[in-house]
Amino acid sequence: MSVHRAPDAEEHLPYLEAHFESETRFPWIKVVGYAGSLVLTLVAFWAVSAHWMSPTALLAFILGLAVAQAALQLGVFMHLRESRGPSWQIAGLGLGLFIAVGLVGMSIWIMLFKSGVS
Amino acid sequence: MPAFVPYLLHTLFPPTVLRPTEIGADVLIVATGVIIVTVLTRQKKWGWLWREWLTTVDHKRIAVMYLIAAIAMLFRGGVDALMMRTNLALPSVHFISAEEYNEVFTTHGTIMIFFMAMPLIFALFNAVIPLMIGARDVAFPRLNAVSFWLFAFGALLFNISFVVGGSPNAGWTAYPPLTELAFNPGPGENYYFLALFISGIGTTITGINFLVTILRMRAPGMTLMRMPLFAWTTLCTSALILFAFPPLTVALGTSLLDRLFHASFYTLGHGGMPMMYVNLFWLFGHPEVYIVVLPAFGIFSEVVPTFSRKPLFGYTAMVVSVVAIMVLSYGTWVHHFFTMGAGPSVNVFFGLSTMLIAIPTGVKIFNWIFTMWGGRIRLTVPMLYQLAFIPTFVVGGATGVLLATVPVDYQLHNTYFLVAHFHNTLIGGTVFGLLSGLYYWWPKMFGYKLDERQGKWAFWLFFLGFWVTFGPQYLLGLEGMTRRLWTYPLGLGWHALNLISTIGAYGMGAGFVVLVYNVVWSMQHGERDLTGDPWDGRTLEWSLPSPAPEYNFARIPVVTERDAWWAMKARGETTAVRVRPDEISALELPRNSAMPFFLGLGFFVLGFGLTFRWWWIAGLGLAGILGAMLWAGFDYEDRKHVHAEEIRRIEAALGRLEA
Repeated sequence: MSVHRAPDAEEHLPYLEAHFESETRFPWIKVVGYAGSLVLTLVAFWAVSAHWMSPTALLAFILGLAVAQAALQLGVFMHLRESRGPSWQIAGLGLGLFIAVGLVGMSIWIMLFKSGVS
Repeated sequence: MPAFVPYLLHTLFPPTVLRPTEIGADVLIVATGVIIVTVLTRQKKWGWLWREWLTTVDHKRIAVMYLIAAIAMLFRGGVDALMMRTNLALPSVHFISAEEYNEVFTTHGTIMIFFMAMPLIFALFNAVIPLMIGARDVAFPRLNAVSFWLFAFGALLFNISFVVGGSPNAGWTAYPPLTELAFNPGPGENYYFLALFISGIGTTITGINFLVTILRMRAPGMTLMRMPLFAWTTLCTSALILFAFPPLTVALGTSLLDRLFHASFYTLGHGGMPMMYVNLFWLFGHPEVYIVVLPAFGIFSEVVPTFSRKPLFGYTAMVVSVVAIMVLSYGTWVHHFFTMGAGPSVNVFFGLSTMLIAIPTGVKIFNWIFTMWGGRIRLTVPMLYQLAFIPTFVVGGATGVLLATVPVDYQLHNTYFLVAHFHNTLIGGTVFGLLSGLYYWWPKMFGYKLDERQGKWAFWLFFLGFWVTFGPQYLLGLEGMTRRLWTYPLGLGWHALNLISTIGAYGMGAGFVVLVYNVVWSMQHGERDLTGDPWDGRTLEWSLPSPAPEYNFARIPVVTERDAWWAMKARGETTAVRVRPDEISALELPRNSAMPFFLGLGFFVLGFGLTFRWWWIAGLGLAGILGAMLWAGFDYEDRKHVHAEEIRRIEAALGRLEA
């Protein structure tokens, strides 16, 4: 063990640096993303409360809106496209996607009640 | 008298909060409040309290606040348990009414899981993890304070339900239709959903915080496979939190929409699906079981090597099994509702996946035993809890495998067999583990040891009390006594076992009293820890003085192998933690902030307003939340500079400066 060396947290690694304060342009993309998310939610809410379509079509419609919003938020807020080094975030997002799809899929399987005894 | 006053009084203080127990609690709360305010005022400590504690972002102080809250909640949950056991001691005892019994078992379960186990775990995460991995703080210190205050105000909101408006009474799982507005019109369930919602946000943030801290802030040279095992279990616990809490949030949020805005997510009559709530709740609920037990596994993996003077046996196998438990625990949740009738294929799948988890858990148990094998074992209090944990948790695990067998579960579900099983794992695993960790790291947190002799008294009372309480409950379950039963008649053959169980519960209560006495006594008379390494420890936190200075490490250590501090001691390089005066440079530390406190307060006001559907109060709370977030967003002065001279002075006072 090198005892008296002190290369520690003060070491400068550019891709670890916070860079928010250096942003000079107004973050329009974030504002648009936020507004878009709100609009997609309100449309879903309105479609359901106004019984806009038949229940099955409605389900498919709001599912589509949900996927659109997930994609929007991943792109705008979840750093999907940014990278100042290796794209570590993709692995994490992949894991999240795997678990989410697994949980949703299994939930659908469970809630189908394909049972002879219930 | 204006007309709204009687209405207000009746809403806030309905007959259900004017029973003798609630009046007694009112008196206690007011008396405690008066004492605290008087002491703080007379000693002129308000400023100190605000500056040093309520606005702190230092992980070590946040740990202490979590700890105080958790012990207070352990008291409340324990009193609930004793009320239940008193009512069940003998046949047809009507110590409390059936209505109150429902409220008591609901608050017991909710408090013990969300407001006792979780904060106690976060207390140890905060107290230990940054020191253990060689970091100066967590990754997001201010968010850490936000987590704490969301938890604290959530817990407060849940607890005032007891004396203002009425307690929730649908069990800690809060299934519909028991929670539906039509059947449960009071504010109690609103309190439950909102309090868990608010503290759940805090928990999620904590999960993110420790994930990032462990992945990004380890000392140079500390690769993942050189981390202490407690850091590994914290990492896995945080990952579980991250993915397990969203389903809970959805379940709570949709239930709230049902109750507050007459949505029908779980109303069968309007096409809702109450079983979906059950599914969502246990999607969270099963990983939650591992969220509270994995940290205990990590604690034992630190305690056993230290008190056996041996490195952990099978480190790699331990890491693999923790990760395996983390992944598998996402695929077992249906075993909480086999009897819902989702079908044989579903039940078989989840029965088998549940049994699979026993394998990595068994690996861990054997590895702890092999670590002790041939070691020089010191029977300190942390080690006693570990030795008590092994048989207790193994019985809990074995009965869990029994319950995972679907036909057996159809017989035993919702009986006292189940109650005994999950207390075996939650007390035998989580609580024994956390108490072990508390005794182990107490000198690091506070600078003095807890008295060993008193600690052993508390241990034996708690351990024996546990078995006397829950041993008979297995038999009661086999004899058909169902859980959440308010009272029972003579002639069912249950009274002897119930009486024994109640005696055991009071034994555990006595153990808690001795534990508190142990803490209070040791504050004054406990052995001071002057070396920083009272147990002859192995990991980096023991290389620091107790308690550690605000910046933890004057110089970040460089790690070359596992059990870094042990290795330094073995090579006689303990002076490596000292610093030369010229080596010290100025540091940037996070600056204290009042924002987290006010954010929590805003959530509390919002929650209170929604509970009673007083929209303008809710609006006020929402405005407070938005204000606090704007404050956070535009406050760029979030760091402070600590001059090298000040660090030199502190290190010199600690005797850690090289000449």
